[in-house]
Amino acid sequence: MSFGDLLLQQTINGLSLGAMYALLALGFTLVYGILELINFAHFNVFMVGSFIGLWVLEGLGLSGQSVILHGAALAGALLAALAVTMLLSGLLGVAIERLSLRPLRGVRGPAAMITTIGVSYILFNVVLLGVGADSKNYPDPLPPVAWHIGGAVLRLREVLIWLAALLLMAGLHVFVRRTRLGRAMRATAQDAEAARMMGVDVDRVVMTAFFLGSALAGAGGLAFGLYYDFTSFLIGFTAGLRAFTAAVLGGIGSIEGAMVGGLLVGLIEAFAGQFIAAAWADVIIFSLLVLVLVFRPAGLFGRPAVVKS
Amino acid sequence: MRDAGLTRRHVGRLAAATVAGLAVTRRARAATQVVRVGIDLSLTGGDAESAVRIKYGAQLALDEANATLDGVRIEAATYDDGTATAGQYDPAQAATNARRMVGDDAMIAAIGPQMSGAAKAMAPILSRGGLAIITPAATNPDLTDPRYAPLYRPGGKTVFFRTVTTDAYQGPDLANYFAETLKVRALYVLDDSGAFGVGLADAFQRRASVKGMRVLGRDRLDPKAADYAAVLTKIKALGPDALYYGGVLMAGVKLVKQCHEILPGLVRGGGDGLVGPEMLTGAGFPAAEGWYATIASPHLADDPRARDFARRYRARFGIVPDDYAITSYDAGLVIADAIRRVHAADGGVTRAAVRDAIQAAKVDTLQGTVSFDANGDLRDRTVSIFQVRRDPTKPLDSVLDQYRYVGVAPTS
Repeated sequence: MSFGDLLLQQTINGLSLGAMYALLALGFTLVYGILELINFAHFNVFMVGSFIGLWVLEGLGLSGQSVILHGAALAGALLAALAVTMLLSGLLGVAIERLSLRPLRGVRGPAAMITTIGVSYILFNVVLLGVGADSKNYPDPLPPVAWHIGGAVLRLREVLIWLAALLLMAGLHVFVRRTRLGRAMRATAQDAEAARMMGVDVDRVVMTAFFLGSALAGAGGLAFGLYYDFTSFLIGFTAGLRAFTAAVLGGIGSIEGAMVGGLLVGLIEAFAGQFIAAAWADVIIFSLLVLVLVFRPAGLFGRPAVVKS
Repeated sequence: MRDAGLTRRHVGRLAAATVAGLAVTRRARAATQVVRVGIDLSLTGGDAESAVRIKYGAQLALDEANATLDGVRIEAATYDDGTATAGQYDPAQAATNARRMVGDDAMIAAIGPQMSGAAKAMAPILSRGGLAIITPAATNPDLTDPRYAPLYRPGGKTVFFRTVTTDAYQGPDLANYFAETLKVRALYVLDDSGAFGVGLADAFQRRASVKGMRVLGRDRLDPKAADYAAVLTKIKALGPDALYYGGVLMAGVKLVKQCHEILPGLVRGGGDGLVGPEMLTGAGFPAAEGWYATIASPHLADDPRARDFARRYRARFGIVPDDYAITSYDAGLVIADAIRRVHAADGGVTRAAVRDAIQAAKVDTLQGTVSFDANGDLRDRTVSIFQVRRDPTKPLDSVLDQYRYVGVAPTS
């Protein structure tokens, strides 16, 4: 394996991690853009999403690691799992907003943020008590297809995770830019009061932000399970914290920032493992976060560009 | 098997109470002294399935002792040092459990813990409380090393005993096997950042260098991270013939899976942390196929007496015991023997007397005669090597069938 191959392989590793972080970071950014609230429940919506994905796949008859699908069957199963997982995760996000955050809207101070931490722990413990502490095997329906580029290996699951992340992010972009509701979201992010006076239904906008963010987290959870072949009640914190870092790094509130931040954190993690030591990855990621916050408080993507253009 | 700790404890108490009830009706006339033996294991998290097997081994020994003891009744009290937030053993919880044991006046000895990281937290507290504990599975050498006596034995007397040998033999003996039998020339060493894993990997690495194998590098895995691809890619680029992992299954299962994808065909091995049903069901096949693992005791399951034990164990609990269920049973035998001798000599059974009796023990157990040196270590230092090889005709999660016994590890 030449040095060039090594760099390429670590870039592949990093981009796959990064795609997952980016999907998750978008949820933080969407909600923050609208409510200026850091939603810590998002960590474990991601985790619950990966369990929903697991159950959907099992419901489709894919249990254990022995069933391998090809072609249309594979695409159909994955798309069905993705759709159901995103829908249910999105509804979970809406429920969290409706039941625990809307009553606190307009309350000053950190009450809402603390509530999201509480909700996060509730999800964590409900899953722990419900499914147990051991990690659960994910079905692995992907055929073991891989391409060799020099000494580097690109596997089908990496391509799929990039493709899924790319399409979802593009979809989000179009939604925010081109639809009426997307315009309402951008307006609310800029000035909620003015938007309300112009007739924007702010509750609906907030609900949409939670739905979209949680649906993307669900997609991230499904991707996590398929990529690593397992899920457990514990996965939310490590991935969530890094995704949150990615959102802040990119500039929280900015959709482009979340995407770039996610990829950046993934790449840093991979290259830290290569050139320094895996154990130092967190130190490096979070030091970088501190540096960015000191020198560019609004994140890499300049002004707190929120969900606006 | 994976219910909440509270429920499990209730069940344990219920079982103890039932057994106690039977014992009382049988010997209602004698004034019976009730003594408690604590059992501390990592019943929550990544090592829970092995923990349950170990727990049952101890329980069986104590229950069988109760059937023949007169004038003393042993109650087992189960403690869980695993927490959900840690996902495996939690040293803070282990320390809390040790304090609760020491604070219980009826507690005269304990069995456990399973994990060296938990043992390091418990040993100083138990030492100050003068409560003897016998571990059937914790193998970190520091715990019984006289150099660290101020750390783990502040109370003076040895209270930490083992019915397994230590990583001072487990790691190096497999390094010998790698060098002598498998002819490994260059290797990479990983650990899981835990007390057990780091100590084991250190011991392995030192012997590997002595044996002339080139150690290309050493890395530490975060057991909570999901992705080890970066490290494994780095290792792949270095091109070693072997990989050694010191650690338990929380990181182990993920490592074994990703190793299979990124580094197929390498000689791979680890310590007793890799022996457990989670390796077979979590990492699964073909990923787990070919991994070497050691245990810090002789391999007993094929021995006729151990087979008889396995029959009783299975009849009672419905699952198959593994080797550490046997060392746990042996720990129970040693404690029961100590109680019996103390009771015969003095009448009243005390913590201090039981400790002295354990130190002087010469007990016939499933693994032969168990006796301890002054530091609490087993005099027999056998390490056994296994290799994971799928036997499709046997249950997937059966450790006894899917880990094939390779032999006693070479000591040089």
